[in-house]
Amino acid sequence: MQHFALTIIGRDRPGIVSDTAEIIYKLGCNVADSSNNILGGQFAMILILSHPQITDAAQLTKEFSTLEEQGLSVFVRALKPGGEQRPDLPGELCMISVYGSDKPGIVYQVAKVLSDNNINIVDLNTKLIGTAERPVYVMICETVLPADLTVTSLKALMDTLKQQLQVDISVRTVTPVEL
Amino acid sequence: MAVQEIVVYPDPRLKQLCDPANITSEITTNLVTDLIDTMYESGHSVGIAAPQIGICLRVAVVDVSNHKLGKKHNHELMVLINPEIIESSGSKTMREGCMSVPDYTGNVERAREIVVHFTDNEGHDQVVRCKGFEAVAIQHELDHLDGLLFIDRVSNPGTDIFKRK
Repeated sequence: MQHFALTIIGRDRPGIVSDTAEIIYKLGCNVADSSNNILGGQFAMILILSHPQITDAAQLTKEFSTLEEQGLSVFVRALKPGGEQRPDLPGELCMISVYGSDKPGIVYQVAKVLSDNNINIVDLNTKLIGTAERPVYVMICETVLPADLTVTSLKALMDTLKQQLQVDISVRTVTPVEL
Repeated sequence: MAVQEIVVYPDPRLKQLCDPANITSEITTNLVTDLIDTMYESGHSVGIAAPQIGICLRVAVVDVSNHKLGKKHNHELMVLINPEIIESSGSKTMREGCMSVPDYTGNVERAREIVVHFTDNEGHDQVVRCKGFEAVAIQHELDHLDGLLFIDRVSNPGTDIFKRK
């Protein structure tokens, strides 16, 4: 079955999910995965969809034209076969929290060190908190470590970064337990 | 008795309120043996509740002593018949998974320390204080007796539910 990535974003109001879900349901699409959040004043939806007949992204885009008319931006991307499957990511899970007074480059510098060390980001949220006068930047990141990297080495990398960026960084492992 | 098959959601037996077990009945004795056998057989499980093998009675077993997170505080094998948490304090969040909800894990906040009142395998009334991973495991298993799954305890679906690695 052809899978698509659908992105919808626009000024938040009640009814965006309902209007989108109605179209998806009436079309006969399956929603395999989705993330839907308010970001600033915008509501952002990203969905992985499949349809038994529709294979063309342009055809699917047309079905969402009523949303465009309401001021939402809609984008559809056709996935290559297997693009809907989450890859198996073995390796230790680590949460990294970065926070400090707001300054340019926090996300870039942290992400660069992670990328240079082949650490995979599987979830990332950033927020600006604090007050207008004293903004505090918070970045919370879930990562999967490569087999050859220990948590101790990651902590050492983050300690160096902490000094350079003058922010606070904490690293903690997540151990999923089966009960 | 024997290792039993694990009941997996959406089986309705996982969402029922379980009945109190009759302490002296052979049904309870056999159920306890089945739970112990099934828990140890799985290799990685640290606890199992009766509804997970399809029996709607208030019985669960827990043993965290072989798990790296349970080494420090544990009471080895605990057979919990008609258990009740009579005191709880603190909080601890763990990434929980469940044999009855394969493929997903979720962040669940539970009490860090509990006092649990139950009848043990020999029919003795017990009041035991548990903490850390053992306390979390007991709370997870006791939820099963009330038809609750860890999914019912997750507060933020965006950040708290994960596809199992």
